[in-house]
Amino acid sequence: MSAYDFEEQEKIDRLKAWWSANGATLLLTIVVFAAAVVGTRLWNHYKGEQAQQAADLYTVLQQQVEKGSELVKITDAAQLLTQGFPESGYASRAALIAAHSAVQAGNNQSARDMLQWVLDHTEEPEVKDLARIRLANVLVDEGKYDQVLSLLNAQHGASFTGLYADLRGDALAASGKTDEARAAYQKALDSLDTQGAYRNVVQMKLDVLREHQ
Amino acid sequence: MGSASDVATVDGEEISRQEYEQALRNQQENLRNMLGENFDASLLDNPQMRTAVLENLIQQKLLRHEAGQVGLAVLDSRLTAEIQNIALFHEDDKFSYERYRELLQRQGMSPAMFEARLAGDLMRQQLLEGITGSVIVSKTVADKIASLSETKYEINRASINPEQYINQAVPDETVIQSYYDSHRQDFTLPERVRIEYVVLSLEELAKQEQISDEEIKKYFDEHQDEFGQAEERRASHILLTVPVDATEEQKAAIKAKAEQILEQVKQDPDEFPELAKELSEDPGSAKVGGDLGFFARGLMVKAFEDAAFEMQPGEIRGLVETPFGFHIIRLAAVKDVDVAKFDEVKEGIRQTLQRQKAADRFGELSEDFSNIVYEQSDTLQPVAQMFNLPVQQSDWIDRNSKEPSVVANERMLQAIFSESAIRDHYNTEAIEVAPDTFVSARVLEHHPASAQSLGLVKDKIIELLKQQIAAETTEEEGKQKLAKLQAGEADDSLEWGEPVEISYTQKRGGDEEILHALFQTDVEKLPAYTGIKTNKGSFDLIRINQVKVPATESESSQYTLLINQLQQVHGQEELNAYLAGLRQRYEVKIKPVEESD
Repeated sequence: MSAYDFEEQEKIDRLKAWWSANGATLLLTIVVFAAAVVGTRLWNHYKGEQAQQAADLYTVLQQQVEKGSELVKITDAAQLLTQGFPESGYASRAALIAAHSAVQAGNNQSARDMLQWVLDHTEEPEVKDLARIRLANVLVDEGKYDQVLSLLNAQHGASFTGLYADLRGDALAASGKTDEARAAYQKALDSLDTQGAYRNVVQMKLDVLREHQ
Repeated sequence: MGSASDVATVDGEEISRQEYEQALRNQQENLRNMLGENFDASLLDNPQMRTAVLENLIQQKLLRHEAGQVGLAVLDSRLTAEIQNIALFHEDDKFSYERYRELLQRQGMSPAMFEARLAGDLMRQQLLEGITGSVIVSKTVADKIASLSETKYEINRASINPEQYINQAVPDETVIQSYYDSHRQDFTLPERVRIEYVVLSLEELAKQEQISDEEIKKYFDEHQDEFGQAEERRASHILLTVPVDATEEQKAAIKAKAEQILEQVKQDPDEFPELAKELSEDPGSAKVGGDLGFFARGLMVKAFEDAAFEMQPGEIRGLVETPFGFHIIRLAAVKDVDVAKFDEVKEGIRQTLQRQKAADRFGELSEDFSNIVYEQSDTLQPVAQMFNLPVQQSDWIDRNSKEPSVVANERMLQAIFSESAIRDHYNTEAIEVAPDTFVSARVLEHHPASAQSLGLVKDKIIELLKQQIAAETTEEEGKQKLAKLQAGEADDSLEWGEPVEISYTQKRGGDEEILHALFQTDVEKLPAYTGIKTNKGSFDLIRINQVKVPATESESSQYTLLINQLQQVHGQEELNAYLAGLRQRYEVKIKPVEESD
């Protein structure tokens, strides 16, 4: 087992070193290639290689998480992806995973950074909507209710309406705005999946608000 | 007719009809496994099920497509590892490429096809697992939910039942009349028919097939291996081999020599082992005096076997020519088949043969059946006579009838309640209501949907209204009593039940509505009171004696378990939103489904 650890750590270190040495040159090369029509095939080949490399790194990250590695190792692995392959779906997923680990380790700052990175970089609208939900949850714990509310005001996909309303309810309830919170939870109940188990949780939060009428 | 080859497109990628049909079959297979005997093929014949299967296919396509779009890839090493980990492909606890190829071949798949499919699965998995495995729920909310779930209420209940008010409830005539007027639909009898019908099934036809005892015996003899112990015989032989390139003269010389030996053996059978040892050119058996031991059919070359299985014990026969050369055979013993076994399996064989015979002709017969019910469309007698099937009659049935079960099929009922069946009493077309089961029906009598007069249904209405009035009285009474209790007045007429403890973590069926009410109640001052209308029709008054709010211990295993659960249900909701988002973002076109009959 320990041999594996070492190998993976070494892999990460090596890739880090490689990236800082070659990253910029490589980017420059890509731009030149991409600009030229004759470069299209090379570009496709390059994209394929990129995907493979990113997949490889993502596997390393998953192994770190599975093993319950320290946060810093997970964050390092995730950053290799966010810095090396920012456009890849792997990068966004890596950041989400690292944010989750950070919250569990009690490092909210790191979680916020990761989630903010997703918000700034991902090209998947649904993933962006999810990242916002998760960032809002971190902010609720930090008591930054106004920030939560303004974050949730951003435009989001229609299918996320229920979850956004639910979170708004959490922020409002926590800041003592009972009536508004109740309205938000009610809106959440109206939009959430009628078969889903989560609506019971929302119902519970709504019920208990009536207590203080 | 002219059905297009695809059923839907997902961002330009097609879902073929073949894929769709396969998915339906898989679904059918799953249902069959799940429901066993309760399985009903018509379950799949409904539009909701078909839509669900198609939507599932669309979702898979979408996820695969999206995974490619966002640059996910499957590493060859990962793919290889996944395949090698599938226990089905293991032999002696190790991955066997042979077995892998063989199993795939049986499914009509090449390794490349299987690998592409698995890669697709892995892509989808990668797309989703990073999302579902990274849920964050604020501690603020988690603590609150943990605390609420663990909050225990000690309560008593007192029920006010509507039965006590039923007799006092007397609805007046005008109310009855207006109820009848506004619920006319409820008192309409649906359109009904009585039908006769003929069922052509492989099962029934098989029963009619005549199978002779000879056929059964023949099958039995030819399939000995299926019935346990096969007949075995023990023989010895002396072989003189004939080289493949031997000339006619050489062959004749060998034959002459063999005949000489045969004469010798016939004169002195006891010499057989000695002669075999000395002269036989089958080195294996020569050593043991020509003995081949016991063997069943199928082990020896044909000519040898035919001879050996015709001979009597002790008999010597020759020359038998086989590709090896000339044999002189002596039969030593016969190990007989268990005759009792034949009787045991006789009926089974008969059924197998009947089914085989019927199956061979079923395609043709079902076509004849369809043609005859269509050509002689005003009677079922000809088809019943021709196939020797009974014409059965049903009771009155409507469009929702479940009996008789062969008719309770959406397409069948549609045909029965069609205009040509009802007005003209024509036979319905022959419909395959289940695999290898065709039914044609003919309407005998028809009752159109009819309204029932007030006189007929008055008692029923009065009963309904009495219950309605009693329910209203119950609720009114309950609310009044509740108000008094809340104002601090005692009520001796109430019979409070035993105190019970109730909470979300220990809830039983039906507790949910009580918990909603409890959470909504102000418990500053105890005892506190609330009340609910139950789904059994009673109004239950609830006295809250005690509320135990647990101190949150975020270290406890119970807490961890709860948080995991919370993350899971939240994650499920997030996943639904994600999937719905994809579905909305991409262009999905569904072709209108054509009836395929």
